Amino acid sequence: MSESFDDTRLDELVDLIVQLSSGDLSARLEPSPARDSLDAVITGINLLAGELELTMEERVAERTLVLEQARLALERMALYDALTGLANRTLLGDRIGQASARAELGARPPCVLVLDLDEFKTVNDGLGHGAGDLILVDVAHRLTSVVRSTDTVARLGGDEFAILMPDTTEEDAMRVAERALKELHSPFTVVDRPVWAGASIGLCFGLRGQSADNLMRDADTAMYAAKAKGRGNIQIFRPEMHHAAKERLHIASDFGAAIARSQLRLYYQPIVELDSGRIIGAEALVRWAHPQRGLLMPMDFISVAEDSGHIIDMGHWVVQAAISQLRHWLVRFPDAPFQLHVNLSPVEVRWPGVAEFISEALDEHGVDPQRLALEISETGLMTGDVIGLEALMTLRRLGVGVEIDDFGTGYSSISYLRRLPIDTVKVDQSLVRDIATDGQQVGFVSAILRLIESVGLRAVAEGIETAEQRVQLQLLGCLYGQGHYFSEPIPAPELTELLTLQHATVDGEGPPSR
Amino acid sequence: MSLPAAANDEYESLTIDQEGFLILVWPRGVTITGPAARHALDAVNEICDGTRRPMLVDMATTKSVAREARVVFGEKSAASRIAMLGHSPVDRVIANFALGRIPPRPPCPTKFFTDRDQAYAFLREGLDERVL
Repeated sequence: MSESFDDTRLDELVDLIVQLSSGDLSARLEPSPARDSLDAVITGINLLAGELELTMEERVAERTLVLEQARLALERMALYDALTGLANRTLLGDRIGQASARAELGARPPCVLVLDLDEFKTVNDGLGHGAGDLILVDVAHRLTSVVRSTDTVARLGGDEFAILMPDTTEEDAMRVAERALKELHSPFTVVDRPVWAGASIGLCFGLRGQSADNLMRDADTAMYAAKAKGRGNIQIFRPEMHHAAKERLHIASDFGAAIARSQLRLYYQPIVELDSGRIIGAEALVRWAHPQRGLLMPMDFISVAEDSGHIIDMGHWVVQAAISQLRHWLVRFPDAPFQLHVNLSPVEVRWPGVAEFISEALDEHGVDPQRLALEISETGLMTGDVIGLEALMTLRRLGVGVEIDDFGTGYSSISYLRRLPIDTVKVDQSLVRDIATDGQQVGFVSAILRLIESVGLRAVAEGIETAEQRVQLQLLGCLYGQGHYFSEPIPAPELTELLTLQHATVDGEGPPSR
Repeated sequence: MSLPAAANDEYESLTIDQEGFLILVWPRGVTITGPAARHALDAVNEICDGTRRPMLVDMATTKSVAREARVVFGEKSAASRIAMLGHSPVDRVIANFALGRIPPRPPCPTKFFTDRDQAYAFLREGLDERVL
């Protein structure tokens, strides 16, 4: 037998290769002291196995890193809002739970603020989702800038945001809410144009043992109460708000059938020439004759109609009914300089075909377009809605009057007003209220009236309740006004009576109801 | 002129011979680790003091060269040309593995020899590469 036949290294090398190929990359074979060619092969295989093992370890480390990054990305997706990077509802819920637990251990209770943009739908539908997304990102930045470092800002979905303030006082919570409201009422810049969105805020403080879901629900209820109160305000949750929320649900459910069941009514508030007291027009105001709840005012159901999508149907009904009534008055008093004013919500202004619909209604009733004026709220016009503006321009060209309503409640500048297709500005009652008693307010209203006049627009003062207010407005050169001083909103037959009386009066002097 | 090694697993000696060649000797059966390689390279640079010299590396019977050490050997140093001297086919495999890790090529002409004279001849070929 030869010496090489006794050499077991070759068999051991085969075993090593089998071991390595089975996946055990840590296997090695010690070279013999001979350090001959066979040992060189063994050494080479040892080195190659070492390289392979290291490569595999590196690859495993790389894959582990990728997996870890994927896990973090998934966690981020699960807990954060992709658009704004804010916490989402799930993470907010967790943090509320933690804040509540700390409160159990002696910290002050957490407060949750729920914020909803008032005009976001108008902006989103009018300027596109891209513009809407830009605004949402901007809202996220603004909210983040007003909170404390310990607070969590979250996006709950759509245009609804929330702020969690752990361990807080009512004073601190209100301060943050007010700063948030102020921030969100400044215009957003979208494609180089100012856009107003506004917001309503609901606050709720956590109670001992209250779940995160309940706390968010109550803050949400408070937010809806803020919206119902006219938007752009802050409400702290009170238990009775749940009742109001339930009522709201009932009203929403009933309102769907209100038009079909002929439960809507139009009331008319006269608009008068301040000097003569003559009625020169009227504002049509919708009421809902609810079979159980009695006569409901717009503030009881308009926001419900907007949220439920019934606002367009209601708007159609109002336009048709108002123009039909206008036709009656024009036939009866053909020479009277009478114009009927109808409110259009921002949603209606944006509705495709609104200009055609109104134009056809005027044609159908044979009414001169100049006898109709449309009132759009200031904030509604300030949302930068191109489609809405085009519709208003079309109507303006037909001769229909277009007015800005509640002027002084929003943030529009006179220079911006000049670019809008309007002919009249209705000065909000909040500006008129103290005009007879507050000298500063007189100066302010006087300046506004002069500015309105200087850009060639007509001013109508709203909410005149006293003779003093009327006189003061006359002194300031305001020509037209409306308010309880002259007449409450009244049903059509009563206004017909007033118009008849005015028509019969030879010189037409004196206020219609005074 | 010589620099002693610092520890057992480090190089055995580093000297400059009469011809001006660096002679780096590793102990028998050594496993050259990353820190040991780093120490040797630093010593080479220190002893040369700005002068590039051919170097003979006596690595006969080296047990293995760690991956980290191989990376260090890929760095540019005061050695202008390296002859790696071993005795066996095992030394040859280890030496070539040590060089194989160096991308894209060794920082200076490097070759493995089992014959000392041939190694010196290779170093002398590069005498004109010395930068004084």
